[in-house]
Amino acid sequence: MSQTALIIEDDEDLASIFAEAIRGVDFEVELVADGRMAEERLKNGPPPFLILLDMHLPHISGADLLMNIIKKDERFTKTIVIITTADARMGEAYTEHVDFVMIKPISFVQLRDLTSRLKPKEQS
Amino acid sequence: MRALISKILDVRTADPDDARRRRLLNILLLGIFIVAVFALIGTLIDSAFRQGADPEETQLTIFATVLAIVGIFVIYLINRRASGYVAGLTFLLLLTGIFIISDSPQQLTEGRSLFLFTIPITISSLILAPRASFLLAAISSVIVSWLALSIGSAVNVFVIAGFFVLALVSWLAARSLEQALQELRVINANLDQVVTERTHELAQALERERIEAGRNQAILNSIADGVVVFDTRWNAILVNPALRGILDMPTELIVNKNFSDLIEHPRLSPKSRQLLHAMMQHDTQPPSFRVEWGKKTLSISAAQVYDNSKDRNANIGTVTVFRDFTREAEVEKLKSTFVAIVSHELRTPLNAILGYAEMFKESVYGPMNDKQVNMAERIMKNTQRLLRLINDLLDQAQMEAGRLTIQMAPVRPADLLENMHSVMDQIAQEKNLKLTSEIDAGLPHFLNGDGARLQQILVNLVNNAVKFTAQGTIHVRLFCPYENKWGIEVSDTGLGIPEEEVPKIFDTFHQVESGVTRVHGGFGLGLSIVKQLVNLMGGEIHVHSNVGMGTTFTITLPLVVPAESLETWRNL
Repeated sequence: MSQTALIIEDDEDLASIFAEAIRGVDFEVELVADGRMAEERLKNGPPPFLILLDMHLPHISGADLLMNIIKKDERFTKTIVIITTADARMGEAYTEHVDFVMIKPISFVQLRDLTSRLKPKEQS
Repeated sequence: MRALISKILDVRTADPDDARRRRLLNILLLGIFIVAVFALIGTLIDSAFRQGADPEETQLTIFATVLAIVGIFVIYLINRRASGYVAGLTFLLLLTGIFIISDSPQQLTEGRSLFLFTIPITISSLILAPRASFLLAAISSVIVSWLALSIGSAVNVFVIAGFFVLALVSWLAARSLEQALQELRVINANLDQVVTERTHELAQALERERIEAGRNQAILNSIADGVVVFDTRWNAILVNPALRGILDMPTELIVNKNFSDLIEHPRLSPKSRQLLHAMMQHDTQPPSFRVEWGKKTLSISAAQVYDNSKDRNANIGTVTVFRDFTREAEVEKLKSTFVAIVSHELRTPLNAILGYAEMFKESVYGPMNDKQVNMAERIMKNTQRLLRLINDLLDQAQMEAGRLTIQMAPVRPADLLENMHSVMDQIAQEKNLKLTSEIDAGLPHFLNGDGARLQQILVNLVNNAVKFTAQGTIHVRLFCPYENKWGIEVSDTGLGIPEEEVPKIFDTFHQVESGVTRVHGGFGLGLSIVKQLVNLMGGEIHVHSNVGMGTTFTITLPLVVPAESLETWRNL
């Protein structure tokens, strides 16, 4: 499995902050900025080690990506899924489908520490 | 018959005494007339059948009787047309004259016919005037004296004295009768006056009522809202014209119909129908609410009408006011959409600012000195504050739009406190305040609740406490006061709330004393949101405060222990 973290986030600044945090713990970071591109990437690209998925995306929502692709495709069974949302209730609703729910605003340190813990031991 | 007799006897005159006297005279005349007629008939029969009757005497009797009848008729005419006094006096003199010729002077002066003179004396006081009895007594005295002298007897002084005593008695009797009648007339007149006044008052009251009713109708007609008045069985008894425009249907289809007919109208959405059914069934004062009527949104408010008169408080029906709320509803919807969009658009860049500031603080791009780190922390703190304000605004907007709902799921009270500490510990520490918490032993380990909203309530209350506490402790307690309730208590050792401010602290955008707010910041939304959330959860919030000593907020909420999930959660 590749040590790739796929960040699906439409806001450029947030994406760059998340990327910086995750890159800080030596992941390879791949950025996707909208739902349709994310669908394309998920279907055609190799399954990443970790997905950081924003629930509010243009074209196809994060929730749809999660339920229709990630949860249905066996290639993603081992992928760690973290969803990000500003809506605490929405986050709660998906707790059982994902590994982690992060409520915005997401702390740089928090994300860095979390991803650092998730990284396979032999890699850290 | 009676009317005919009345017509014959009554004399129309303004003076009631005069009328009475003349009527009395007429009665006497009628009586004598009848007697005379019988006498005439008797004489005629007598002369026809009796043998040996003296024809001269019979003729004389007939002549006298006819003369009497004519005299009676003449007096009657005088009485009716001219003067009661003249008629009366004539009658009495005629009567006296008849008496004089009816017996021998011997008998008239001291014998069996002497009493005849008492009759005119007595009658005169009644048909002329009370004091006329003296006149008749004098006339009778003269006649008796003259008769006595004519037959060579002495004048009988006792008889004359007797006449005058009788005149005195008649005068007194007649006078008191007249006085009594006079008083009766005064009483009658007063009574008439009272009746007239009352009648007038009644007429005026009726007129006022008519004007009032007309004015009320005019007011009702000019109200832009639709008004329907229902009786206790929900039959529409009154409808104003504006309702037609609001419901777009003729008011004839509503008035005198039952409300349930209107509820079944297809233009009403099913949810609205439910609301209206609920309104009909609740005997308690129903609040106002909105219904969908075709493409319109209507606001309906209903108020029970009570009859407070006669010391009873009986419900006599319901007044409902229908208002076209379509525009307002659209504006409200727009407003909440606007707030939602604005909030989202504001939050996103703030999240970025927060992230970049944190990166500075964490020296991601090279070492930073203490001052730079401190500045990054300040940027973060202010950004977080701004975010909280936006969240509050968003919540408020959602609550106003009725879109904020409570979602129940099993919640662990211990988690609530833990999360609260993770957010608030640092904030309390910065002000050198102690933030402590406890869970009462009686509280179940799991209970049904909206975790995120409970969290928000706790954070808002603690945040509020921190804001208004300069030193001391903020204590949070979760407890179980009754079997079916649980509670949250947040107490501080802060400023306290002045008594007059207490009722206002939960108002939207309310801030306790502008000076304090300027120091502490905030929109004044925190407590308002807490209260609304508590209400949505079916709970209550109370505040107890002493100025200078501190404040305690106590929330009680319905306690439902999640039976099914209890085991699952226990195993976690």
